[in-house]
Amino acid sequence: MKKIEAIIRPSKLKAVQQGLKDAGIPCITVLPASGSGLQKSFTKIYRGTEQSLTLQQRTMIICVVSDGNLNKCVDAILDNGSDGEVGDGKIFIYNVEDAIRMSSGVRGNEAIH
Amino acid sequence: MELSEIVSAQPNLNYAIDTVWVAICAALIFFMEGGFALLEAGFVRSKNAMSIIAKVIIDIIFGGMAFFAIGFGIAYGASNGWFAFDFGISENDLGLGLNVSNKLFWFIQLGFAIAAISIVSGALAERMKLVSYTIYVVIFCAILYPLVANWVWNPNGWLAARGFNDFAGSAAVHAMGGFSALAAAIVLGPRLGKYKKDGSANTIPGHNLPLSAIGAFILWFGWFGFNPGSTLGAVGNWELIGTVVTNTFLASAAGGISTMIYTYYSYGKIDITMVINGILAGLVGITAGCNVVEAHSAIIIGAIAGILVDISVIYIDKLKIDDPVGAVAVHGVNGLFGTLAVGLFAAEGGLLFGGGSSLLITQLIGVVTIATFSFVVTFILIKIIDKTIGIRISREEEIAGIDAASFGVESYSSHE
Repeated sequence: MKKIEAIIRPSKLKAVQQGLKDAGIPCITVLPASGSGLQKSFTKIYRGTEQSLTLQQRTMIICVVSDGNLNKCVDAILDNGSDGEVGDGKIFIYNVEDAIRMSSGVRGNEAIH
Repeated sequence: MELSEIVSAQPNLNYAIDTVWVAICAALIFFMEGGFALLEAGFVRSKNAMSIIAKVIIDIIFGGMAFFAIGFGIAYGASNGWFAFDFGISENDLGLGLNVSNKLFWFIQLGFAIAAISIVSGALAERMKLVSYTIYVVIFCAILYPLVANWVWNPNGWLAARGFNDFAGSAAVHAMGGFSALAAAIVLGPRLGKYKKDGSANTIPGHNLPLSAIGAFILWFGWFGFNPGSTLGAVGNWELIGTVVTNTFLASAAGGISTMIYTYYSYGKIDITMVINGILAGLVGITAGCNVVEAHSAIIIGAIAGILVDISVIYIDKLKIDDPVGAVAVHGVNGLFGTLAVGLFAAEGGLLFGGGSSLLITQLIGVVTIATFSFVVTFILIKIIDKTIGIRISREEEIAGIDAASFGVESYSSHE
C-alpha cells in the first residue's frame, strides 16, 4: 500500500478529483495548504506596508492506494494537475504499514478500496 | 391642507415629529457600535476577534452608564463655558431649543459618546488589559468626552460662543477619539512582532476582511443618523436635512474614489482595506461642515480626506505607532482636517468663498485645543493606569491570543 500526498494548485482540484475518480480512486482527503517552492515569492502590500516571504495558497490531496493502483493514481494527478510550469506542485509517495476500515474492521487492501 | 398648516393647527405634532426623527437617528447612531465591532474584529487576528468585540461591548455598557451618571451633566448642565456638573439627566431646559425630551436627547448624545470611545478601542486592539481598558472607558465617557462636548455643543460652551462650527462632531467626537487613540497607542506600544529588529514594519493582516467591510457598511449606514440627526429636530429643517444627507454621501463616495485611485497608482493594486478607510475618512471629514458647505465642496473635502488617510496610515506606521485598524488616520487626522475644512469651504464665512479667515482661525483654535487636550490627558491617564495596575496583557497571553487567555473561547471553533 502506498500513500500519495500531492500538493497542487487549488484551481486544479476539481479536475484532479475527476481524474482520480475516473481512474477508480474515489477515496481522497483534501486539505488547504500554504507554502513556498522554487518559484519566486511575490511581495504583497497590506495597508501600505510591503510584505515579503509570503506563502502561496495550495491544496493537498492525500490518498492511499494499493501498490497496483499507484501508477494510475500518479498519472491521474499529473495529467490533470499540471500545466508544465514552475509552481504546479509536488507529489510525495510513502509506504503504508496497514489500513483499517472503521465500520467493519477490515484490514489491508480491502480496507482502502 | 399643507403639512405646515397641519403642524401649525396642531402644535403637539412638532414634538411628535421631532421625537420620531431624533429617536430614529439615535437608533441609527447606536447601531454604529455594531459597525465598529465588525470593522475592528475583521482587522485583527482571529485569536483576538472576540476580545475586540468585548471592548466595544464595554464601551456601550460601562461607557453608557458613566455617561448617564455624570457625563451628560458635565456636557449639558449649566456651563461656565468650560465645565458643568450635574447627576443623571436634568429636567431643566438645556437652552438648546429642543422639541424632544431631555431623556431622548441624552440617548442620542450617548451614541456620540460611545462612538468616540469606540474609536479608541480599535487602536488598542490585541494587547490591552481588559480591566485597565474598562477604567479608561469610564473616565472617558464620564469626564473627558463630556468636557469637550460642553465646549462645543453646550449653549454656553466657550467654543460654541465663538461660533465654532462642528455640526456632528469631526472635532468633538472624531478628533477627540482619534487623538486619544494616538496617545493610548503610543503608551501601550506595538503588538509583539509588529516591528522587526531592524525597525522595519511587519504586516499583521486582518483575519476577515469581508467582516471589516460589513462593519464599514454599518458605520456608513449609521452615519445617516449621525449627521442628519444632529439637526435634533425635523420640523422646519427639511432643507437642512437634505443638504446634510447629500453632503454626507458625496464626501464618503469621494473619499472612496480618491483612495482607490491613490492606492492603485501607489501600489499597483487597489487596496480595498484602505478604500474602506477612505470612505470612513470622507465621512469623518464632512461631519463638521455637512450643514454649511455646498455639494461640490463636500466632494473636494471627501476626496482630500481619502488621500490623507492613505498617507497617514503609512506615516503612523513609520513612527512605530501600532494602530491595527487605522483609527488615528481615519478619525484623528480627518477629524482635524474636517474641522478646518469648515473654515475653508463654508459657503458663508469660508476662506475660499471670500469669507475671510476668522472662521478658519476659530476652527483651528477649537480643534487644536480638543486634539491637544485629548492627547495629553489620555497620555497621562494611561501612564497612571500603567504604573498602578498595568495596561499590557502578559507576553504569554498576547501570544496565545486574548480570546483563549482571557475568555476561554475561540471565535471559530473547529472540530464541529
